[in-house]
Amino acid sequence: MKNNKLKICLAAMAGLGVVMMASTPAVAAAKRCTAGGVKVECPTQSDADLKKAADAYEAEANNMAEGKSGSTYGISVFDYLTGVGKRAADGSATAGESGYNSKHAGDTGGRHTELWDRAANPAKGEAVYNQWTNNWSPSFKETLVQGADPNEGKQWYYTYCIACHGWTLQGNGPAAVELDPRPRTLTKGSYMNKKTNLELFTVIKGGGLAVDLSASMPDWGNIMQDQDIWNVVAWIRAMQDVKPPKSVDDYLAPKSTFKPIAGDVNPLNAGKSDDFADAQELLEASVSGRDGGALSGGGYVEGGLRKKPADVADKVSKGY
Amino acid sequence: MKSKHMIYIVGLLSAAFAMLNVANAADEIVPPWQHAVQPAEGAKDSPLHDPMLLYNAGGLDGRVAVIGIPSFRTYRHIPVGVDLHEPVYGGLAHGNVNGTPDGKFLYVNDKGANTIGEINLQTGMLQRLIAMPFPYGIHHIALSPYGKYLYSTGEYTGKMAKTEISTGKTQVIDWGPSPSAPDYLDVGKANSPSEGFIYSGNYYHSTVGVFSANPFKLVKEIPVGKNPHGTNVIPEGTKVIVADKLSATMSVIDTKKMAVMKVFPTCAGPLHNVMDVYNKDGGAYRAGIDSPDGLTSKYAYQSCFVADANVKIDLKKLEVVDEIPTHYRTGHIAISADNSYVMALNKFSTGLFSPTGVVYPVNHELWDAREDSPTYGKTLKIMPVDGEPHNAKSIMSYLVKDWTMGQATNDNVGLLGAGGKAMQLEPAHKAKVVQYFIPKEHEKPGVREVNGVKEIHVKAFSYGYIPRQIRVNKGDKVRLFVTNIDRAAGITKNPDVTMGFTIYGAYGLRTNVDLPRGITAVSEFTADIAGEYEVFCQHFCGPLHLEMRATFFVDDPAKGASTLAVGEYEEAQQLPGLLEEGLLTIAERVQGFKD
Repeated sequence: MKNNKLKICLAAMAGLGVVMMASTPAVAAAKRCTAGGVKVECPTQSDADLKKAADAYEAEANNMAEGKSGSTYGISVFDYLTGVGKRAADGSATAGESGYNSKHAGDTGGRHTELWDRAANPAKGEAVYNQWTNNWSPSFKETLVQGADPNEGKQWYYTYCIACHGWTLQGNGPAAVELDPRPRTLTKGSYMNKKTNLELFTVIKGGGLAVDLSASMPDWGNIMQDQDIWNVVAWIRAMQDVKPPKSVDDYLAPKSTFKPIAGDVNPLNAGKSDDFADAQELLEASVSGRDGGALSGGGYVEGGLRKKPADVADKVSKGY
Repeated sequence: MKSKHMIYIVGLLSAAFAMLNVANAADEIVPPWQHAVQPAEGAKDSPLHDPMLLYNAGGLDGRVAVIGIPSFRTYRHIPVGVDLHEPVYGGLAHGNVNGTPDGKFLYVNDKGANTIGEINLQTGMLQRLIAMPFPYGIHHIALSPYGKYLYSTGEYTGKMAKTEISTGKTQVIDWGPSPSAPDYLDVGKANSPSEGFIYSGNYYHSTVGVFSANPFKLVKEIPVGKNPHGTNVIPEGTKVIVADKLSATMSVIDTKKMAVMKVFPTCAGPLHNVMDVYNKDGGAYRAGIDSPDGLTSKYAYQSCFVADANVKIDLKKLEVVDEIPTHYRTGHIAISADNSYVMALNKFSTGLFSPTGVVYPVNHELWDAREDSPTYGKTLKIMPVDGEPHNAKSIMSYLVKDWTMGQATNDNVGLLGAGGKAMQLEPAHKAKVVQYFIPKEHEKPGVREVNGVKEIHVKAFSYGYIPRQIRVNKGDKVRLFVTNIDRAAGITKNPDVTMGFTIYGAYGLRTNVDLPRGITAVSEFTADIAGEYEVFCQHFCGPLHLEMRATFFVDDPAKGASTLAVGEYEEAQQLPGLLEEGLLTIAERVQGFKD
């Protein structure tokens, strides 16, 4: 580690079946509320808020099981032929029940899923509606991490991170209440903006234990390529102090408070960084799925919708 | 099939066609399968025969279920192993996903045990197990056009394999760089631009890899949408259709140009594809009766996990033409051998059925795909299933002969094969393991030594495990605690989400634990075989279920940390506890063998 400003504390990862020992709770707790060597407000949600968030999430899901609503997309109309689906407890008919998809039934609505209707009649801002997550989703034209695409990172975040860190990075995912320490609120600029890109990269790739933090933060390095991780870093940077949006317009133009840190590592310059090389050596040492041969180490596969870092640079194409 | 049988059936069918043409009133819809099955002459009762059968790889229950179509009765379960994924009929692999079967064998891959099972369709029993090399991590299998080889994907190691069925010999090649997860594959069709090629999705690369069959090697990677899964060659062999899970699109590959020709939106969370199949005269293809050459298709059907629907795709226009709601979260999708019905293999039944224990049943849903039927697009049957509907393929019932009334006396070649010997294998039940449930624990995740036992505390959520890398030493007594901390299935919000935890290979039968909500599952065993073994979720929990992985390392202090290159993989291949030694066909790595 040559640059003190970028110094990160990498714990030696477990080797050879040694039982991993975390720091004392007091040390870990103190560290959790430190950024850039300065004590800051610890960016997690209160227990009450987490419980509230988890309960709301569960209630929504239970409504589906109990027949108080449809599925995520508001379908599951009742079908008289099979008795499958949900209907009102008072026996009253609801629009679209039975006869769906039958050209002969003369139905007037509800025969398709909500998504089908949405595709037929796009609403304002439909371009930022994410089908996979069934939600509105921020979209970016520029990146705050050179060579990394926040739109791509958002997809990975929605895949692996929302269960704990929550839909809008508030640290209030449905599983957050199950974890101790609580997962980080990732939008707190006063804390996150002091963390270097390399620190964020390291904690995603190697997990909380790699930086002597929470054992509940898993390591993702064996299944996310380095560029994917950089993209997630760019997504987090793009969401600093962005409040949960109240309108579609808020999703279209989120304003982040993050300003790139001078001399910080990014995917374009990582190859020349000694700090990055040091971190990689430790992180790669214990990653599964490597056999020491051709498959080893932080490889990057172009393809699919993956872009080269050089092609991303500052501007990213809007989309997801 | 013997030629005299063929003549008999064709003659019978001609008679049936003539009869139906007379009887067929304008509005009456006669499904194609009715042509295939006729009562015996003079019969006055109507036996409960199903004209078609569905062989269902039961996923985590380790058994293949045999289900009648259209009755949706389950006839039997055939025990095979740990976690069964893809059933493939032997014979020729022309046509659609159901193939052009000869009715002799069904192959099914076991993701948990890293094996391929061979079921004799005529005896209805598991006859042989082909153990895949370690480390590998078999995900799915597909049959070569003329039925000699099974190709498979090594999801956990980024490898692909070609296995000669007659000998069990296997050639393995790398598909790097890591992370690489070959998932669903299909083989090119005979007499088409796709002949001699294998196509496989790779959800970490977001590409479809094109492999030549001989020599067996990677030819090209074709970029497709995000996290591709279902990858299927249409019967004509001219196109490969790909379900792009996270892009909500279908990518269509032109097999001649080896490039994507079209990408179009289909639905949320597309996972798998099937398509119909017609003979060269335009009728529904009938295995064993029609020529397997010149088969064509009209529509593809794609499962949409997130949208709770199946969509119908016109394969000429390459656009979505209809959408059918399903109940709920269709994973795999199947089509009856006569194209009449599509079966949604649903991974959740939230609120639909009576509970029978801590794990809620999932279901098969059969909907009417006949466009001219009054019930087109409607669900006709829905049934809870034991285990899981992982993937299922349909076959005409007449290909499985009746041996129940002494017929074997005069025709034991058809029953037992030319060698006259059909093994009956019964995989051992949970071996060398103690499993139980305790109230939901709130221990911190990690590995701790308690009274000489390595206690491993794991939390499972959509879509991952905490911790994701678990290390113990060889010889350690292990007590594994796994807790499902989901409130619902990730963003798809099914409150009945059950998670799973299976360490593939030698530890498959010692784990394979169900993780219903609110309960912690415990498994106690000895980590006696060194190596690096992937952990996966065997309960389909959401569209990113495949990506829900962890790694179990058993390190031998004498040899250093286990990796994919360091481990007791030959011993692992023997699968202790799964079967007695000697009953296995152990695969060998054979480089460069010829067709």
